[in-house]
This record gives sequence, structure tokens and C-alpha cells, in this order.
Amino acid sequence: MPQLQAFYFVNQITFALVALFTITYVMSVYVLPYFVQLFVTRVYITKL
Amino acid sequence: MSAATRTASASAQVDWSKIYTGLGLGKQTITSLQEFRARHTTALNRNSALKATTPEIDLSHYKGLLKDQSAVQNAEKVLREFKAVDYDVTKFNSAVDAFKGKAVEAAKATLKKIETEEGSLKDTLANIQEARPFEDLTVTEVAKARPEISKAVETMIQKGKWTVPGYREKFGEFSLM
Repeated sequence: MPQLQAFYFVNQITFALVALFTITYVMSVYVLPYFVQLFVTRVYITKL
Repeated sequence: MSAATRTASASAQVDWSKIYTGLGLGKQTITSLQEFRARHTTALNRNSALKATTPEIDLSHYKGLLKDQSAVQNAEKVLREFKAVDYDVTKFNSAVDAFKGKAVEAAKATLKKIETEEGSLKDTLANIQEARPFEDLTVTEVAKARPEISKAVETMIQKGKWTVPGYREKFGEFSLM
């Protein structure tokens, strides 16, 4: 039924947005700051 | 044994070199102790000098020499009845007590300081004994030991700074992009 095609895209968009938001949140709060911390720590302990 | 003899024998038994070097006392305490010792020695010397200068009076010589026997008897009586004046030492005692209080306070302060130092030394020793190889060090441990790192990272991220200046020069660029 071609009239249901729209719901398929709504579903796609919803999950894509949720996934995008989740990935952005996890990366910005947990993953990337960890790397910054790792780099800062490396620089710090070599300067000790 | 008289009190003076007891004090003298007790003071002779004090091992001053051990007190000065062995106990790890503070400079102020050692100076006070040296002053006290010097005062004690001076007092002892003065006491013995005064004892040595006490004159001995031969009254029988004067009995044969003087015609006025009553004067000699009078002098004899005075000498016999002479009693050394008791000196009021309470004011000195208060000074001694004050010194004692001060000394005890200083000793307590020294003890407290030594205890603190001992604690920190024990901590250091435990730290050394429990130390792990440098390779096993984790970011979390370093952050725990130096909280300023976490603070710096937090400020950097809040300001939108995601790169560490001087990092690439030191450790190289491994980014694939």
C-alpha cells in the first residue's frame, strides 16, 4: 500500500534523529572529553 | 641523702649529648636547655665559692685576748643563735613553673610535629611499597592524584577547546583523517 510509505520514512527519521542525538551526547560527554583528559595527562606527566 | 646531694647526683646522671642530638629537639628547645644548664653551672660555682669563703672565728682566742668577757660571751651567743634567713623562693618557683609550662608546651608542639611527620612518612612509605609500574598507570589514577587535571579538562571543554597545545609536537599525529 503506497499510502503507508510515509510512515516508513517517519520511522526512519525518528530512529535516525534519536540515534544521532544519542551518539552526539555520548561522544561529547563521555568519549571525547576522555581523550582530552588523556592528552592533558600525557602532557602533564611528561612535564613533571 | 639530702635533697641537695640527690639533685647533684641526678644532674650528674643526665646525658646531655644524648638530649641535644638523640631526641631530635627543636632549636629553641635546645637553646633553652643550654641556657638552663649554664645557669645551673653558674649557680653551683657560686654556691661552692661562697661556702669556701665562710670565715671560721676562734672565740677562745678572743676570750684570752679581751678583758671584757661579757662582750665575748655576747658575741658567742649571737653567733650560736645565728640562723640563716629563710629565703622566700615562691616567686622563683612561679618563674620556674612558668618556664616549665613553656617547656612542656614546646615539647608537646614538637611531639605533635614529629607525629605528623611520622604519619606523612608512613604514608609515603606505604605509597612506595604499593607503587605499581609506570606503564600500569591509568588516567583515572593520575586524575585522582592531581585533581587540577580534571579541572583543566573541564574548563577546556566548557570553552570548546578540544586540542591540547604542544601535544602533537611531542607525541605525533596519529589521526587517520
